[in-house]
Amino acid sequence: MSTAAIDVRGVRRRFGARAVLDGLDLTVAPDEFVAMLGHSGSGKSTLLRALAGLDPDVEGSLRIRPRRSVVFQQPRLLPWKRVLANVTFGLGGPRPRERALAALAEVGLTGHARAWPVTLSGGEAQRVALARALVREPDVLLLDEPFGALDALTRLRMHVLLRDLCARHRPAVLFVTHDVDEALLLADRVVVLRDGRISLDRTVELPAPRRRTDTAFAALRTALLRELGVPEEIVEVTA
Amino acid sequence: MTVVLPTSAPPAAEPALHELARAPRRRGRVLRVPRWLRALSGPALLIALWWLASATGVLNPQLFPPPAAVAATAARLAADGELQTHVGASVWRVLQGTAYGVLGGGAVAVLAGLSRVGADVIDSTMQVAKAVPNFALTPLLIMWMGIDEGPKVLLIALGVGIAIYINTYSAIRGVDAQLVEAATTLGVGRAAMVLHVILPGALPGFLVGLRLALSSAWLSLIFAETINTTEGIGFLMARAQTLLQFDLSVLVLLLYAVIGLLSYALVRFLERRLLGWRRGFEGA
Repeated sequence: MSTAAIDVRGVRRRFGARAVLDGLDLTVAPDEFVAMLGHSGSGKSTLLRALAGLDPDVEGSLRIRPRRSVVFQQPRLLPWKRVLANVTFGLGGPRPRERALAALAEVGLTGHARAWPVTLSGGEAQRVALARALVREPDVLLLDEPFGALDALTRLRMHVLLRDLCARHRPAVLFVTHDVDEALLLADRVVVLRDGRISLDRTVELPAPRRRTDTAFAALRTALLRELGVPEEIVEVTA
Repeated sequence: MTVVLPTSAPPAAEPALHELARAPRRRGRVLRVPRWLRALSGPALLIALWWLASATGVLNPQLFPPPAAVAATAARLAADGELQTHVGASVWRVLQGTAYGVLGGGAVAVLAGLSRVGADVIDSTMQVAKAVPNFALTPLLIMWMGIDEGPKVLLIALGVGIAIYINTYSAIRGVDAQLVEAATTLGVGRAAMVLHVILPGALPGFLVGLRLALSSAWLSLIFAETINTTEGIGFLMARAQTLLQFDLSVLVLLLYAVIGLLSYALVRFLERRLLGWRRGFEGA
């Protein structure tokens, strides 16, 4: 009997001859926030899709708490449903409307409940996607580069919002990103996916509030960039 | 010491800057006229030209009667109720055929669109059906169903059904797979997936199909009404031809034109109502 929210053992996923995931192990505890870093093509999204139940061809043991929500890089809202209907879509339980409105209030979009998705900005749409995920009160929140398509300023605000929301709802989070700073600002633990397995697994012990300018932050960033195979001269510039 | 530069090439003048922002222009008087009225000005101009050509004798009134004569014919036919009977019969045929065609074509498209096996079996069949001009079926339909309303409505329904099928099927297949995935992660069941994700996603394509279907329906009607009939616009046309009634012939042409315009307006209306989400239209 494990107490993990996600427990992945020896997971393998082949695309043709290439094994994108090759005997990967990963455990995420309940209410733990794990950021997963890796190059594009390293299999981050493949693992996340498998955990979301979207990949029938994955091999190995993937166990996950059934109450899970996913936020993708694109908001993926149904354009023909207004914002509120997008949040309540597929939502069971009592008083879905009230709960959806509360979730929209949490992401600061109460006033947009009746708006069409096409009228939202990228950041607003992604906040709706967050509300849609959180209103289901998930045990596990799977995030696939959720801020990857947003501009830098919107990203900063989304980081704060996500941190607050996770502090309040305490789901287990698997946050896929290629942004080292983002990972270090948000996560309790950072793992690096390389050659189909976890090549580095590091608990982030940084004093709160985390600052990019801290030496400990910079040291961890340097270590992670090296692990990601970033050339030394570039690591030095960013340090 | 001074250096004398060759002066043959004068210094190039710096390019002047262009002002791109202009004072906002007031909407022209033409644009203040309601849109539907502007849209009617083209046809109105055609009628004016027709009138002018008739009045100046460019058009032979024996072969192409002037607007007034056609209007008089229309008024006479309307007064004794004949116009209403014929137009009504034709409209009723088109409505029935369109209804059957939309239901049939739509249902088959959904079946083929939602299952891979369905697609393999149905789609190739429908492509074959598309290749056969359905007017070529007219003799067979008459032999099977007689000369009543049946073959007329069926002929219309076949054309409509194929137009609806082709567009709806490809629209279903074109529904954004990312949205289907997202809905899957929301724990949505099969019925809700079809009802809330796939069908609304296919709606724009369906409406394109409906537009094509309606023009096909009126085209089919002309063929259908060559099958033994005593009612309908096609009957009027046949009678005009037999009796050399040029005014009636022109009137029939006008009727087809008006009906075509109205069909188009109907689809536009449906598109505005059903696809408001595309532009974030808040509704009237």
